Amino acid sequence: MSNALLYNPTSMEAGLEAVFKTRTVTDAQQAAFARFAKLRMPNRRLEGWKWSDFNGALRDFSPINDAPAADTVASSEFASLNPLEFRIVDGRIELPVEEIPEGMRYGVIEPVATILELESHAIASLNVAMTRKALGIEVVEGAVIERPILIRHINTGAGFSFAQSMMRISPNAKAQLIETYEGNCAGFYSHLFHMVVRDGAEFNRTVVQETGPDNTLHALCAAKVNETAHFEQTSFSTGSRLARHETIAHFWSPSSSATINSAALLCGERHNDFTTHVVHKERDCETRQLHKGVARDRGRNVFQGKFEVERIAQKTDAKMTANALLLSEGAQANHKPELEIYADDVECAHGSTVGSLDEDALFYLRQRGLDEKSARAMLIEAFFGDVMSGVKNDVVRDCIHQKIKTWMETS
Amino acid sequence: MLKIDNLHVAVGGNEIIKGLTLKVPKGEVHAIMGPNGSGKSTLSYTVAGRDGYDASEGSVMLNGENILEMDPDERAAKGLFLSFQHPMEIPGVQTMNFIRTALNAQRKARGEDEMSAAEFLKTVREKARHVGLDDAKIKRQFNVGFSGGEKKRMEMLQMAMFEPRFAIMDETDSGLDIDALKMVGEVVNTLRGPERGFLVITHYQRLLDYIRPDKVHVLAGGQIVKSGGPDLALELEKSGYEQFIKAA
Repeated sequence: MSNALLYNPTSMEAGLEAVFKTRTVTDAQQAAFARFAKLRMPNRRLEGWKWSDFNGALRDFSPINDAPAADTVASSEFASLNPLEFRIVDGRIELPVEEIPEGMRYGVIEPVATILELESHAIASLNVAMTRKALGIEVVEGAVIERPILIRHINTGAGFSFAQSMMRISPNAKAQLIETYEGNCAGFYSHLFHMVVRDGAEFNRTVVQETGPDNTLHALCAAKVNETAHFEQTSFSTGSRLARHETIAHFWSPSSSATINSAALLCGERHNDFTTHVVHKERDCETRQLHKGVARDRGRNVFQGKFEVERIAQKTDAKMTANALLLSEGAQANHKPELEIYADDVECAHGSTVGSLDEDALFYLRQRGLDEKSARAMLIEAFFGDVMSGVKNDVVRDCIHQKIKTWMETS
Repeated sequence: MLKIDNLHVAVGGNEIIKGLTLKVPKGEVHAIMGPNGSGKSTLSYTVAGRDGYDASEGSVMLNGENILEMDPDERAAKGLFLSFQHPMEIPGVQTMNFIRTALNAQRKARGEDEMSAAEFLKTVREKARHVGLDDAKIKRQFNVGFSGGEKKRMEMLQMAMFEPRFAIMDETDSGLDIDALKMVGEVVNTLRGPERGFLVITHYQRLLDYIRPDKVHVLAGGQIVKSGGPDLALELEKSGYEQFIKAA
């Protein structure tokens, strides 16, 4: 191809280029694809991707999405919360069939042209180039939306799917979002979430990934957090062939705060990567991050957390903790906590541990009458305790709790 | 009752228990005293079934059954309780949930009905008060932030809840003040009965002021080197263990 954008592409990249060329695209999309062509699908030679090699996993992948249109979708496990339910089925957006609740606006909108840190991100660039429409949700100023908003990402096909969501929590508004990644397929799904939490707003997001083992997933949430706003996120994943949940949060104004917690339970050959980058761009901001991962068989738990504190961001208070439990010989944990601090009056700390179940505690519980399986289950549940107590919604917490129990029972 | 016959135990390749024989008939309280390193904790771990504490020879019979081949939880369900010398802090484990789960697991293994939540709550509160732990303490994560004395009180609370047929108390008195020692004595004396036995492991005589043993044994060099009545403890307090260390 004389006008090829990609030099020496893998079959997956060549396929993507072929699809891209059939499209009518915007200048921003053209530029985004050019950037992808330069950056290429991330591989393990890149520092931030050495444990999650998307190029290796996808190089022979066919980009053709042969997804049968999934017309029947089972009801959500969060249905009892009566959520406002959005679906993105193989990249296709489905809005709730009901009247738009007061205090909200939503619809299918044009995709984003840019997001935070897009310039350096190959998969985000590819997503910008390939996504045709986006889901847009806005919570208007001062609105308190008690009813949870649910976005279900359901993938059934074997090819690529791209999707985008945009959410804006207006000043002094309050909302709660649950996002689920579902489906048992061998496809690749890329989701880009652009989020703005305006002055004085409170936003709580829970992410639950429970897909089949063959799914490849990249989900990127880029959040701008404004003055005195609070962004709270808990992610839970049972991993898949290759799954990476990235969170980029920038504090744009003083006195804002974020809690970013995550938990992974990995068995078989499942892989999960929680990568976060929190940038403190203004003073008096507070971040708390806690990650817990449990892996058995040949499961792999990846955690990469980075706090950046700019020179102006004095009095930043940021703490990061990552703990992993490995239950089998072949299980792996790769943690990389990082601090990059340019301000001199801050309190920042990180800690990371990887270990096995405490044999003393195990014997103690068994001496009291618990069989080995129950004793292990009790200790693993206890290990997740801090993350679980951060989940505010009782139904969501019980549901995740049940998933942890089920995971342990199938061991 | 507990009957240990010619027990040999090696830990990490070193033989610690070297042919120990001991019989505690039901309804009796026996004390084992001995110097540091004589094998007291090894004995309690072996009887309770801890990994790495395997008998190479001999038998341990609890109420007529050889328990050496049983898992620790099976031994617990048979009515064996070990009060730990160094009780664990287990962050994230809620105390009441743990005790209730363990109690019901034991009951289930014995084919008994589970204790209802309401009955459990009433019982655990009452017994917690008895051992000097207030409601706030039993609502916390297991032993987290507890002092050494409070951890021992938690051991006594569990012993009172589980009502074991045989309890081994491994240096329950270490680190306790006089009031706590009295409490331990009260718990044991309340539970004491014709169907229940106790093996009280201690360095010092003072706990035995509150729990009067039927027999006292001296453990030195991995064997019982002397047995006698309660007066033996007083004698040891005066003369020390040196004679036994030399003899062993």
